[in-house]
Amino acid sequence: MEHSVAASIFNKNEAKVNWHDKALWFVRHKRDLSVHTVKGWEQLRELGSAIKAHTLSNLDNYLVEFEENALKNGVQVHWAANGEEHNRIVHSILKAHQAKKVVKSKSMLTEECHLNPYLEVDNIEVIDTDLGERIVQLAKEPPSHIVLPAIHKNKEEVDELFQEHLGTKPCNGDPQYLTNEARKHLREKFIEADAAITGVNFAIAETGGLVVCTNEGNADMGAHLAPVHIACMGVEKLIPKQEHLGVFLRLLARSATGQPITTYSSHFKKPREGAKMHIVIVDNGRAEQLSRPDFRASLHCIRCGACMNTCPIYRRSGGHSYNATIPGPIGSILSPGKDLKKYSSLPFASTLCGSCSDVCPVKIDIHKQLYKWRQIITKETPQPAMKKMSMKFMGRMFSNPKQYQKIGRAGRWALRNLPKGLINARPNVWGKERDLPKGPKESFDDWYKKRNKNGK
Amino acid sequence: MIGIKKEIKMGSRDSILANIKRNKPDLLPLPEINLEQFEDSLDLVEEFTKKVEIVGGNVFNLASKDEVLKQVKALFPDTSHNYSTVEGTSGFNTISLEALQRPHDLNDLDVLVLESLVGVSENGAVWVSSNQLPVRVLPFITKHLVLVLNKSCLVPNLHHAYKALNGIDNDFGVFISGPSKTADIEQSLVIGAHGALSLSVFLIA
Ligand code: SF4
Repeated sequence: MEHSVAASIFNKNEAKVNWHDKALWFVRHKRDLSVHTVKGWEQLRELGSAIKAHTLSNLDNYLVEFEENALKNGVQVHWAANGEEHNRIVHSILKAHQAKKVVKSKSMLTEECHLNPYLEVDNIEVIDTDLGERIVQLAKEPPSHIVLPAIHKNKEEVDELFQEHLGTKPCNGDPQYLTNEARKHLREKFIEADAAITGVNFAIAETGGLVVCTNEGNADMGAHLAPVHIACMGVEKLIPKQEHLGVFLRLLARSATGQPITTYSSHFKKPREGAKMHIVIVDNGRAEQLSRPDFRASLHCIRCGACMNTCPIYRRSGGHSYNATIPGPIGSILSPGKDLKKYSSLPFASTLCGSCSDVCPVKIDIHKQLYKWRQIITKETPQPAMKKMSMKFMGRMFSNPKQYQKIGRAGRWALRNLPKGLINARPNVWGKERDLPKGPKESFDDWYKKRNKNGK
Repeated sequence: MIGIKKEIKMGSRDSILANIKRNKPDLLPLPEINLEQFEDSLDLVEEFTKKVEIVGGNVFNLASKDEVLKQVKALFPDTSHNYSTVEGTSGFNTISLEALQRPHDLNDLDVLVLESLVGVSENGAVWVSSNQLPVRVLPFITKHLVLVLNKSCLVPNLHHAYKALNGIDNDFGVFISGPSKTADIEQSLVIGAHGALSLSVFLIA
């Protein structure tokens, strides 16, 4: 389904869209307040970007260094070329440990690989333990945001879900009560778990260690109780040295939610006594994205979600309208690299206002990449006849000032005199959700010339 | 059979690395982190206290380590499952880690008191590592967490913190900033998700 079609479904509930829009803008605002107090914030972003660019330019060597050190730490390292192989590896580790109950903390990578359904086929129970992820798991939906997975759900919906699945009492969506019930429910799952799966925020070549950031403490509750911890990471999570964490941990939470740092930034290096630790390193299209000079900077992403919170399209269309694991502006430059045809509408889901690039903590030129994908898509995938025709027409009109003036005059007249029904008729997609302004009598050009003559 | 499996595994490793090697751009320089550009003149204790409060924790100023136990008892007068690693406070402990069969048995822990060697003013984070942590799950599974820290251990920001940690080999370590929390239900902040329900930091003069 095209983005615009999916977005119009989300827009059916106007009150909800308005709430979604405001809630995310509020998060963006908290980000602003928080970053403005950091001296040298722009230099920090520069550093983040340059460290990532350097790492990518030496990624194979850093991966080898990381593997070597992780092995020294007593951690087992696995490599997966794609999602399928990743799932097979995780499954085989679980089988070797006879694990039937698994707790998982947030990992967009395992979403990308569709790990849960793969394991469930073999009767392995996988519980997502981040509260937002648990909510969408109970609702049998994918997350709609990478940091706020259940931002599209209101508290009444959560109330109903919990009544149905956790047997809670009706509470008018009281967040305190619902969170507390989720804590009890998930505490049991942590205690029972045979294995814990976590994502990885940063993997350090120098030490072979990895860092996982959460506010809820769910990654730690899983990993420190279960007999086996499996950490799944994309190849782009590497950073060269531990001291670089100083840069990225300062950037991440402030950009994500405006917090100065997440509650827990856990540095895993060696397995605890008597327990096992595995790391699965996944490519799944990343090496290919690395080959595209125009788009490789998309691999800098530290998954803070700031570009989503600030995006006027994302806020009003909801994460599900992107129909991709990573939604929003960054998702719209990552997804076409995986399947140009399937995701061909995503780079057009943007006003190209550039707000995403302005907030991105690692300075990805997101809006420029969106524009570049548009060029490729228009060339390589069939475009609607109407769009092709109107683009050609516009191109001709703008290259001929005389004609432009003539058509402008006619347009202004039409906007003043024709009935709304005709102006907003089908071919005018702009008239779908909005009325066009009343046409002014004179053009800017006329007004400007007159103004000069009068010497004002 | 096992041999074949291994081959497949190695195959992916080498082909992933080969693809990356082929596709990566020419080597770009690794920038130096110049700490001066981040220096502000904020008071470390004041800033740290402010940030711990912003993230939902509380700071208590103590004249000396001898006051730790008294302050803990004042905060938590009738808890039954207590554990402290601070020197001279073993009278507080009602559980023994030696007798512990599995980390899961700590599920009833009410109060945990731990020492730390690094606190970060810019974000209220306190470093706790396996060197001070007899069982890793302790600071997460406890209901209430108390972290004890000398004022002299405060550093202005994370760059300084990692400098202080450089060369110290930790099997596991964590920066803790405030109690566990979530805002996943309509963005309403709720303190107490899966980890500790409260966090108190004792700053020793
Ligand atoms: S692209 Fe930038 S702003 Fe968007 S999630 Fe990634 S790091 Fe954050």
